[in-house]
Amino acid sequence: MKFGIFYEISVPRPWEANTEYQVYQNCLEQVRLADELGFDQVWAVEHHFLEEYSHCSAPEIFLTACAMQTKNIRIGRGITVCVPQFNNPIKAAEVAATMDIVSGGRLEFGTGRSATWTELGGFGADPDETKKTWDEWVRIIPKMWTQERFGYEGRAFSMPTRAILPKPYQKPHPPMWVAVTSPGTELDAADRGMGSLGLTFGGFAEQDQKIAEYRRRIRYCDPVGSFVNEQVNTVNFLYCHEDNEVGIKTGMRVTGTFNYLAEQLLAARQAYPSRSYPNLGLLPALRREASSPAADGGAPEGTAIGNPDRIVEVVKKWESVGVDRINFLLNANETVPQQEVLASLRLFAKEVMPKFADKRQPVAAPAAGGA
Amino acid sequence: MPLVGTRDLTPILDRAPLMPSLDTEQWALPGARILQVLYEIDDSAMLSLLPRALHPTIPPTVFFVVTHVPESSVGPFTLAEVRVGCRSAMRPRTFLTRAYCDNAAAVTELRNRWGYPVEQAEATLQRYYDRAHGLVTAGGRDLLDVSLVNPEPISGSDVQYLPNVNLARIQRDGAVVPRLIQVDPDFTFRSADRGKPMLTSFVADAWELPGCEPNYPVSASYTVADVTMPKLRFIVDPNKGPMEGVEHV
Repeated sequence: MKFGIFYEISVPRPWEANTEYQVYQNCLEQVRLADELGFDQVWAVEHHFLEEYSHCSAPEIFLTACAMQTKNIRIGRGITVCVPQFNNPIKAAEVAATMDIVSGGRLEFGTGRSATWTELGGFGADPDETKKTWDEWVRIIPKMWTQERFGYEGRAFSMPTRAILPKPYQKPHPPMWVAVTSPGTELDAADRGMGSLGLTFGGFAEQDQKIAEYRRRIRYCDPVGSFVNEQVNTVNFLYCHEDNEVGIKTGMRVTGTFNYLAEQLLAARQAYPSRSYPNLGLLPALRREASSPAADGGAPEGTAIGNPDRIVEVVKKWESVGVDRINFLLNANETVPQQEVLASLRLFAKEVMPKFADKRQPVAAPAAGGA
Repeated sequence: MPLVGTRDLTPILDRAPLMPSLDTEQWALPGARILQVLYEIDDSAMLSLLPRALHPTIPPTVFFVVTHVPESSVGPFTLAEVRVGCRSAMRPRTFLTRAYCDNAAAVTELRNRWGYPVEQAEATLQRYYDRAHGLVTAGGRDLLDVSLVNPEPISGSDVQYLPNVNLARIQRDGAVVPRLIQVDPDFTFRSADRGKPMLTSFVADAWELPGCEPNYPVSASYTVADVTMPKLRFIVDPNKGPMEGVEHV
């Protein structure tokens, strides 16, 4: 089991002159500490226009800053929006390769397609097209990284032959992931030999089935990259405190705030009837599960909040259903003061991480190689 | 925390229905034809259209909905609504301050049993091969002229209708008080189309939506569905904060 941290970078109103600055500084401080404590990875989303919920529209910049201030922690673009109105595949490949170089081969490359009308409409993107362009991009980007020169004649993207530079530091290229929010996308990941960057949550039983099917399907995959990245990555909340009741109460405040902010946005499905968007927006299952009390009325069963003993049990359950990595959201809208967030990270690293240390593996072999 | 509405509803309460009871039965409306057109609106009215109990959507939105019911216990009718997209705490809703219906008996049913702030006017919904067209007229004016152009079939499961919160009044402890009546009908779809949204005429003041300026078309759908109007479950005090004013019926 590997542990990481995950950023939406939510910024509470009122937005004063230094509010965003302070939130970003808090995040960077958390990343530096996470690196010192031995967390494996930091992920940052790409979102646009999502007031308060996420002010993280340039994750490549934020993650580069993270890389420059840390030594070991891997940096995850979670995700690059593979929609032409948002990005360009050449530019995405170039930026990713540069991030990989300046970080010394620490990039994890997540892919996705956006889930809100707030964003899709803002860029003038066609919701019916996003799954198709994502599929095309994930097939061509690894070729841009690995071929000396690349040319392509496609459906939504074409280019004459050019040398796309620089090339990634990791050889043959960074591990590739798919953001999984819609039902069935984990199978899209498996069929393409990509890691499942699970932005959904679900109960243990549901995840058990999904992961088993992912593992079965990926054995027969046609990998889009030069290697198969068979890993299951999930997102969770973390608030660790010596007092279980305080930990749960504070953690629930974070999950409630996160959920509340996410619902203010306009999910693609609510605005635009399309079979391309069967889910209900941003991290829907995560939010549902993390907000629902357990059968005994206590904290949600799969949410990593409470004292270290409780969190160890939660992580063990996730491990038992086949999850390889858990990335934690540490705060929402600065609900928890920074010093308490840092204390939570320290306590988790001291009391929880060692319980899983003997099972921790180095990162995927191709990712560890470098030049 | 998210933005909240700033609207004082007092000036429009007199025309809101005074509901005799919140204890209503379901109402079956088979084979209803529903045109829904969604626009983004100018953000200058983002907060002024909604009461304190509701958050605006991001971006702010307005839903034009014209429904033709071919058979019901009060006969056929056409209902036209213009609803503002919103959130009641974290629940997606649409806020209704004015609707029009062409059937007096249906007006009475909708006002008394589900709190629709509806008045009688000429309302039609026509389906052609190239478009679906909703029209509301009163006093010789087109209050709403809205269309779906170039329909293409989709699955009914691709369509999502958001519940209403209707501005109404109820008796509470001997006084008349405003309440938002949550109405979440059940839909069983027979067919669905999607097409280009087109808004030809919209008189905002006639819908009690001053300053509402649709400025960006989003989507249009046309469905045929069996609709069941529900029993009421929740009402909301519009003058309380979003987390504070929800009451069980």
